[in-house]
Amino acid sequence: MTSYRIPEKGRVNQGKPVRFTFNGASYVGFEGDTLASALLANGVHLIGRSFKYHRPRGFLSAGSEEPNALVGTDRGPGRFEPNTRATVLEVFDGLNTTSQNHWPSLKRDIGAVNDALYMLFSAGFYYKTFMWPKSFWNKVYEPIIRGAAGLGKSPTTPDPDTYASRFAHCDVLVVGSGPAGLAAALDAGKSGAKVILVDEQAELGGSLLSETDAGINGQSGWQWLEEARSALAAMNNVTVLTRTTAIGYYHQNLVGLCQRLTDHLPNPPADAPRERLWKVRAHQVVLAQGSIEKPLVFEGNDRPGVMLAGSARSYLNRYGVKVGNRPVIVTSHDSAWLAAFDLAEAGVKVAAIIDIRPNVSGHLMESAAALGVEVLSGWTVTGTSGRLRVASVRANPVSRSGVVGSARTIACDALLMSGGWTPSIHLFSHTKGKLDWNEEGQMFLPGEATEESRCAGAGNGVFSLAAALAEGAAAGAAAALDAGFAAKAASYRVDGELVLTGANNRELPTDRNTSKAKAFVDFQNDVTAKDIRLAVREGFKSIEHIKRYTTTGMATDQGKTSNINGLAIASDAVKRPAPAVGLTTFRPPYTPTTFGAFAGYNRGELFEVTRKTPIDGWAEQNGAEFEPVSLWRRAWYFPKKGETMHAAVARECKSVRESLGMFDASTLGKIEIVGPDAAEFMNRMYTNSWTKLAPGRLRYGLMLGEDGFIRDDGVIGRLTTDRFHVTTTTGGAARVLGMMEDYLQTEWPDLKVWLTSTTEQWAVIALNGPNARKLIEPLVEGIDLSDEAFPHMSVAEGKICGVPTRLFRVSFTGELGYEINVPARYGRAVWEELYRAGQQHGITPYGTETMHVLRAEKGYIIVGQDTDGTVTPDDAGLGWAIGKAKPDFVGKRSLTRPDMQKADRKQLVGLLTTDPNTVLEEGAQIVLDPSQTLPMKMVGHVTSSYWSAALGRSIAMAVIEGGKAREGETIHVPTPGRTHTAKVVGTVFFDPENKRLSA
Amino acid sequence: MLHEHHPLIGREIAVRKVTPLNIRAVADGARFVLRIDPAQAAQAAKAFGSPLPGKIGDVTVSKGRLAVRLGPDEWHLVVPLTEQEAIETAFAKLYATVPHSLVDVSHREIGIAVEGVAAMLALRSAIAFDIGGMPVGTGCRTIFDKAQIILVREAEDRFRIEVWRSFADHVWGILDAASREIALGI
Amino acid sequence: MLLIRCPYCEAERPELEFTYAGEAHIARPADPSKLNDDEWKTHLFIRSNPRGTHFERWRHQHGCGRFFNAVRDTVSDKFAMTYKAGLPRPTETELEKARS
Repeated sequence: MTSYRIPEKGRVNQGKPVRFTFNGASYVGFEGDTLASALLANGVHLIGRSFKYHRPRGFLSAGSEEPNALVGTDRGPGRFEPNTRATVLEVFDGLNTTSQNHWPSLKRDIGAVNDALYMLFSAGFYYKTFMWPKSFWNKVYEPIIRGAAGLGKSPTTPDPDTYASRFAHCDVLVVGSGPAGLAAALDAGKSGAKVILVDEQAELGGSLLSETDAGINGQSGWQWLEEARSALAAMNNVTVLTRTTAIGYYHQNLVGLCQRLTDHLPNPPADAPRERLWKVRAHQVVLAQGSIEKPLVFEGNDRPGVMLAGSARSYLNRYGVKVGNRPVIVTSHDSAWLAAFDLAEAGVKVAAIIDIRPNVSGHLMESAAALGVEVLSGWTVTGTSGRLRVASVRANPVSRSGVVGSARTIACDALLMSGGWTPSIHLFSHTKGKLDWNEEGQMFLPGEATEESRCAGAGNGVFSLAAALAEGAAAGAAAALDAGFAAKAASYRVDGELVLTGANNRELPTDRNTSKAKAFVDFQNDVTAKDIRLAVREGFKSIEHIKRYTTTGMATDQGKTSNINGLAIASDAVKRPAPAVGLTTFRPPYTPTTFGAFAGYNRGELFEVTRKTPIDGWAEQNGAEFEPVSLWRRAWYFPKKGETMHAAVARECKSVRESLGMFDASTLGKIEIVGPDAAEFMNRMYTNSWTKLAPGRLRYGLMLGEDGFIRDDGVIGRLTTDRFHVTTTTGGAARVLGMMEDYLQTEWPDLKVWLTSTTEQWAVIALNGPNARKLIEPLVEGIDLSDEAFPHMSVAEGKICGVPTRLFRVSFTGELGYEINVPARYGRAVWEELYRAGQQHGITPYGTETMHVLRAEKGYIIVGQDTDGTVTPDDAGLGWAIGKAKPDFVGKRSLTRPDMQKADRKQLVGLLTTDPNTVLEEGAQIVLDPSQTLPMKMVGHVTSSYWSAALGRSIAMAVIEGGKAREGETIHVPTPGRTHTAKVVGTVFFDPENKRLSA
Repeated sequence: MLHEHHPLIGREIAVRKVTPLNIRAVADGARFVLRIDPAQAAQAAKAFGSPLPGKIGDVTVSKGRLAVRLGPDEWHLVVPLTEQEAIETAFAKLYATVPHSLVDVSHREIGIAVEGVAAMLALRSAIAFDIGGMPVGTGCRTIFDKAQIILVREAEDRFRIEVWRSFADHVWGILDAASREIALGI
Repeated sequence: MLLIRCPYCEAERPELEFTYAGEAHIARPADPSKLNDDEWKTHLFIRSNPRGTHFERWRHQHGCGRFFNAVRDTVSDKFAMTYKAGLPRPTETELEKARS
């Protein structure tokens, strides 16, 4: 294979070859190469197929703006990544890459038939083509679209890599390390300010890395770069982050950075995270993002071998790679001439420079003549040929009056184009900073900033090296000054720099029918100039609409190379100036970012906090199945070997009803309410009356929102006159405490009462069953457990198993029950003691499922399951819990609103299915007449439904419109395949007289 | 007394490379949440037997007693276990004249010491505020990843985390991951 | 992620430590039973929802725990000022001063 590498040229380490594969073929590149430069060095231009038309594509650029060269990379099992831009992917030994978006092979692709059917895929084809017949949608259109859509293939196995995250704070954050960014970082760094300098590339330098002509301060650009790099490294107050992309700029100078830590390493350390997401809060930000070259829009501008001239120059100067042996330049900007000159000087035969402008400055003409390069100024390009690589270019003269003359064909193997340069204003745009249209340069420039930020260099429309250095230095010094450091801008002397200018152009003039030309604007989404004109003809006038209709700028590159061309063509078609047509908003991330980086540490066990009770370890060792309840994981049931869930729950229920069960209730929210006004505060927060509750007694408390709907409930103990032990639902703990604090701080600051969360201070063991008292009597000290001294709904402090306890006599099962609160670190040991001592009673640990069944048998509600934020106390049958004599409590006033008193409100009822073996599905909808036509009127839904072992049948609770008045009626529950019938009954299914509580 | 179970017992993270880092559970003390009208804080300090910090975010350490002022009317107190009863008694006495709330939260929290040159770097993996700007001898409640903690800067390179026990594993897991990066120097 | 100045801690802290708590300066009536249905509905549900300057409540939940008031521009998300709960709504002059 011919090598296109020029020995001794470029910055890659030509002494260090690396082997990699592309589509199974093995290639050799050098350390410092990107996949793009290494393939180009091997003469490979064909890198993929386009999205819509499956047209062969090559490398358009040499940077992160690349729309075409997307590849799949394979770093081993589970480490496949689609859509990696070959132009930024660093090669290393053993790298495996594949092209994408084609079948069966890159060179012969069936999907390329789309190219011939282009009329089907014109602007708005998504909206037009697949409209009818309706029946085709599910079976024909959708599968085809899904099959054809998307770039690359998603990985199918979990990502084995880990990701990291880090917060940082600095005085000055500099984004971009080209000349402006370096100058800014140097001056900010010298001031002593804490500086972070980031660049997406592997090495600092930006455009300097591709620049070989100009010198700085009497040195070559590269010598100066080396010095700047060492100077920054020597400053302890400066952090330099390479391979780090500033992906988003958020409020108050928060900038997100994605740092790639290991992708470039052939053998990364096993434990090393792949990427790190930085969240940097900067006092001042300097944006020196540089600029992106604009393609020219002409028929066939997407053939492999057609690329941006500046990128060709980068491949040559930075990587030592010539992109062809016979390139033609087509341009409307001086900068492309430099590419021609550099190539010619490197010994490449430049076939011609075609400049759209009739007049080009004399010194360029002279240099071209000196190098023997033919110049065609005032010419246009009207087509290219070559199936998998450009083979010739069709060029025509354009007269002063704009008439396109007859064509001439020039053979070439690369076509290097330039339509000028577009400042990268992406991050500035993230901040909603104002953009000013520059008509002369056909570009948007950063205007008034909304954040403490400055733009410098090409990203600010300042393209010359000398001016960029000066502006960068000024920005760095000013930023440091604003951050409180004495700083001074250095001055720079630049030699050998040419003043470069360009002209603006739309689609290049042509002698051919423009309504048939495939002149691409957006290469990644295959949008052509005629698509944009069609969209305008069809009535779209705003760029936001044109963008969505044509999909221009909507691909993964966010239109980095296409937005301005698209805007210019749209602006001409709409016949309004560009700023009136508008620029679409750039949004983070600047370049595609892995989900892993965003997830950071939060995956696997650290995905979310998993709260575990002090007794959780015992449950795990004893075979519990768990279920998540808010952030907690709770023991769900304790199956014996080979036991089904159904059997386990039935066994656990039976044991509680017949002898003794133990349950870990530690997750209950707990709040200690202390102060002389504690009872008054309770009166205001809960519906119940607390004034007369004696110390040592418990009461069920019901809490409403101010809207009158049930928010929470729990059993509350009065320990002393001034001290309450409040329990809340597991999921409601933080919410209830927040609501209490809110009222206390903002409505009733005069009350002398204070709140403390004690949820995690106490482990709670619920003992339930006829043998509960027998078990604890010998273990408890300091509390008389007799029914007279310690009746149902009592609380006392004493000791159990030798540790302090707050003992509640309370039941959520209808059986004799206790809730034993012990300091959390003793929870497990007390549990184990009780379990050991309870063996004589066949003590059975049970989980949340059995708890749910037992409470449902008693008709006790679970807030959040039987209620949903629209249920009043009366709806839930809890009217008795309202202290009617109280003048006020949170939510009281709402209870008399007309809507809250309607007879057809959904009310909580019990259901007994006609077939006792049918356990209804929770959430199932209820109808009164099953034979009505669809859609049926739904009058409510099942909230709780279980198999009751005690009753030998199923039971359910439901909310039904006017439910209480329907007791005795039959309702219907349509489910797929079968409609069940059930009778409306009261909510208490078991022991309605509560005899067992005091047994 | 029965055996005490503790989520972090016996666990330690140690990085002895270039940037030493040591993370471990601290010995348990008695902990209280004191809530009192700030105008009466002086009387509370008398009952506490040590000064209480006067500014939100300030910390006092005296005779092995740590006090962090978390809010206008809230102090987090950590004292040696042997002093628990005496302090409870003193505050009970104070209550008659100066109503307040003193609640035992000894078992609610786990203390974690993060110490070493890389301590701040480890914490920056999950704490959003500028720890570098946190003076020694201050403390505050904040968020560590998704867990609420109290962070106290005890010395230039030594921090103490107080975290609810069921969140301790999560905090530990992230410190563990961050310390692996520190060990690798990556 | 915003930075919010807590008027109790007298420090700017990350938004992660805060929770939003609705519109400010809506005092609970001393005796809700005196309000007719319409007035109670207005108190409960009707909010100003402005484009621009909004007086709102935040809580420094994972910090000092206090509820406080803030003036935020709902378009730019910028805070003009924050102040302690119970203090009156700042005047236009005070707001101008805070913004500059």
